[in-house]
Amino acid sequence: MAEFIIALVQGILLVLLAPLASGIARWFRAKVHTRKGPSIFQDYRDIAKLLKRQDVHSNVSSRVSRIMPPLYIGCMIVLGMGMPMATRFSPIPFLADIILVIYMLALPRFFFALSGIDSGDAYAGTGGVRELIMGTLIEPSLMLALFVAAIACGTTNVGTMGQMVGAGTVQSPIAFVIAGIAFAVACYIEMGKLPYDEAEAEQELQEGPLQELSGPSLAMMHIAVPMKQVVLASMFVAIFLPFGSAVDLSVAGLAVGTVVYLVKMVVILVVTMVIENCVSRVRWKFVGHQTWFVFAIAVCAFAFCVLGI
Amino acid sequence: MTKEKNPYAGRPGATHVEAVKERFPGAVTDVSWSTDYQPVITVDADSAPGVIEYLYYERGGWMPVMAANDERPLINKFALYYILSMEEQDKCMLTVRCELDPVSGEFQAVSARVPAAVWSEREAQDLFGLTGRNILDNRNLVLPDDWPQDLHPLRKDSMDYRFRPAPTREIENYDFLKDTGDHETRVIPMGPMHITSDEPAHFRLYVEGEQIIDADYRMFFIHRGMEKCAESRLNYDGVNFLAERICGICGYAHSVAYAETVERAQGIEVPKRAQYIRSILMEVERLHSHLLNLGLVCHYTGFDTGFQHFFRIREDAMDLAELLTGARKTYGLNIIGGVRRDILASQTAETFAKIDKLRDDTKRLCDQMLSTPNFRKRVEGVGILAPKIARDYSPVGPVVRGSGFARDARWVHPFEGYQYIADHHKPFTEESCDVKGRTLVRVHEVLDSMDIVEELLRDELPAGPILNDKFHIEPGKFAIGYDEAPRGENVHWSMIGNNQKTYRWRAKAATYSNWPVLRYMFRGNTISDAALIVGSIDPCYSCTERVSIVDVKKRKEQILTKQQFEEYGRTQKHSPIDM
Repeated sequence: MAEFIIALVQGILLVLLAPLASGIARWFRAKVHTRKGPSIFQDYRDIAKLLKRQDVHSNVSSRVSRIMPPLYIGCMIVLGMGMPMATRFSPIPFLADIILVIYMLALPRFFFALSGIDSGDAYAGTGGVRELIMGTLIEPSLMLALFVAAIACGTTNVGTMGQMVGAGTVQSPIAFVIAGIAFAVACYIEMGKLPYDEAEAEQELQEGPLQELSGPSLAMMHIAVPMKQVVLASMFVAIFLPFGSAVDLSVAGLAVGTVVYLVKMVVILVVTMVIENCVSRVRWKFVGHQTWFVFAIAVCAFAFCVLGI
Repeated sequence: MTKEKNPYAGRPGATHVEAVKERFPGAVTDVSWSTDYQPVITVDADSAPGVIEYLYYERGGWMPVMAANDERPLINKFALYYILSMEEQDKCMLTVRCELDPVSGEFQAVSARVPAAVWSEREAQDLFGLTGRNILDNRNLVLPDDWPQDLHPLRKDSMDYRFRPAPTREIENYDFLKDTGDHETRVIPMGPMHITSDEPAHFRLYVEGEQIIDADYRMFFIHRGMEKCAESRLNYDGVNFLAERICGICGYAHSVAYAETVERAQGIEVPKRAQYIRSILMEVERLHSHLLNLGLVCHYTGFDTGFQHFFRIREDAMDLAELLTGARKTYGLNIIGGVRRDILASQTAETFAKIDKLRDDTKRLCDQMLSTPNFRKRVEGVGILAPKIARDYSPVGPVVRGSGFARDARWVHPFEGYQYIADHHKPFTEESCDVKGRTLVRVHEVLDSMDIVEELLRDELPAGPILNDKFHIEPGKFAIGYDEAPRGENVHWSMIGNNQKTYRWRAKAATYSNWPVLRYMFRGNTISDAALIVGSIDPCYSCTERVSIVDVKKRKEQILTKQQFEEYGRTQKHSPIDM
């Protein structure tokens, strides 16, 4: 029961705090630009405003465009409930299986891309196609890295993997560390921040699939996209850097775990913010070159894993 | 001919005149010099294409613009003035003039042989109702497609300026060019409103996947009718202030170019100090314009941090403009005969300090821009402008210099203050022909501009008056005024009428010469590069579109294409063109 409450709290807080993460990123971006910039709560205001607006869809679009935003945000809530955050174990172990996680990430991407094509807009369609290609390019690295971690730990459950790492009983540690590096880079690309925001590239595609959304649909995406980023970051720390999280349900343990989790998230947020403000967008036709590099790291991890070191 | 053997030997352009006479016996009907540097050859209308092709390709000419003129009230003819900038041997600004029948208005189109003339000739067709035989492109350029057939705004007898013609058609009938071979393409409409362009222009990209196979564009949504306004409502000296409103960035260069046309045609001597001040202010204008474009290059590649920082240091350049002219924009400084405001010694000292700071900032920021991850890959090999295309179409400014041609009016035809320092300056060129080349040219030039301002101010700024107002205006004289604006060469042509007004004023903004090559720069790139390529010519929409007299925008918004474009943008079905 207590686990279920934790899961529920995680899901709700994720929805409530995701706009804060994107708000902080906006604020930081403004500071780097030497602009005054909006406050860190600006995204809440934007979302409140959008929720009051009408939900407009183009008349050629089908149901796909309408169900995409709730589906996207729903998948992220489910992932958020199962992901070990303050705790080392998963509140709902069934939801923290890496096979399920990967599919739960692929499903909203598929619908996101589809909605872009469905909207009938030339730019949104192009953005949708890009989103699918990005998925094809980066998912193999993501999966291979997780696969190596799973073999090294002997389990496919994110929480159990974290426990193994915390206890120091991973079988091939070098392979595991390399897989961690590959996973981190793959996660960053998956987050869709610059220089990899190809599907929504503002100057090229005018926000891609997002440009055909409005009102509550757009508000949901404004929450769901940073949620995805937080979920990915959480998964990374849950598997590869679980240190400090609560190993049991004691109040003290949970309190410390929560603080440690927040610190880790802030550190990751700062790193991503710095990266995204110091780069130009990758030229679309060269994205494949860079994802191959990530894949090579993942393969390297796999080779070490086979060798057992 | 033997009798008057070489009566003009030694004058600039005389060798060209001789060569034309020898090559085309009997074609030349008159030769004169409108100013020392500007020979005018009058040829009969049928031989004009041959003469111009010869001068253009075989004698190193480039064509900035052709000015059409309705001279029926004067000599009962239409006249065309093809302006050629002779840049290899015997440098001069040469005009080939031909006279057309006042009724038929037919001419042999030069664009069939020299593509650089194509926009000017299309414009002459639109605005004067002339008919070009074999013209390269027969579509409307300036006038909207639903414009009444027989209404040509710049004819002297066209209409009352308060008159607004009704639209005649409700369907779009502009044929977009599409040379896609056997590729299966779909259409990506870009604009009239697009996130990266601040002014309306409609691009139609024919893409296969993300690859652009071909592209075409329609512009002139925002005509302001400046030329007609100048002829009908302003005195010749007021046009100066209208000219600088052509552009919000490089307005000062337009003002100088117009002032030069009058000063040269009338033989008005501009005091040396005023010439220096004009050059200094043009360089200040180049500073803030190039910094703007460097920022935009960052923006188009997704590097917004660089964009914002270029705008931060650009503010110092604007301060410099404010210091020297009293306003952030260098407006209202020029009048015929000189300038209105002197540069004081205290301002000189402050200018040096500001430039030192600006130079450090610019160098540092340019280094950072070029070392930003992915930046080079974004700009290298993108938007290639082949030298052959460049030679055919006479683009200007960093666009042509980025393709290896050393065209820069400041050093090729030195004018104003530049003529005193031209011996130790030369144009910057890059050979890479891509966006990177154009960007690097701008980086070089922005630093060079600072040196020029310092050089002109330091110990050379001559003492003396800044204005010459002792002159008389003689009607009927014309001349070319040219200068190097940040985006390339601005060329103005004007003829003064007999009522203190300009009889005809033709203003060519730099970007006017650069649009026609854009189509070739698009080909083979991807959609993601389209905005960057447009940005790399540093386009000026409203500057290009200064002609014609009707508020087309309102008409269009109410009636014509907006709905169709919107509908088409959403559905990609029932294209107004393709179906």
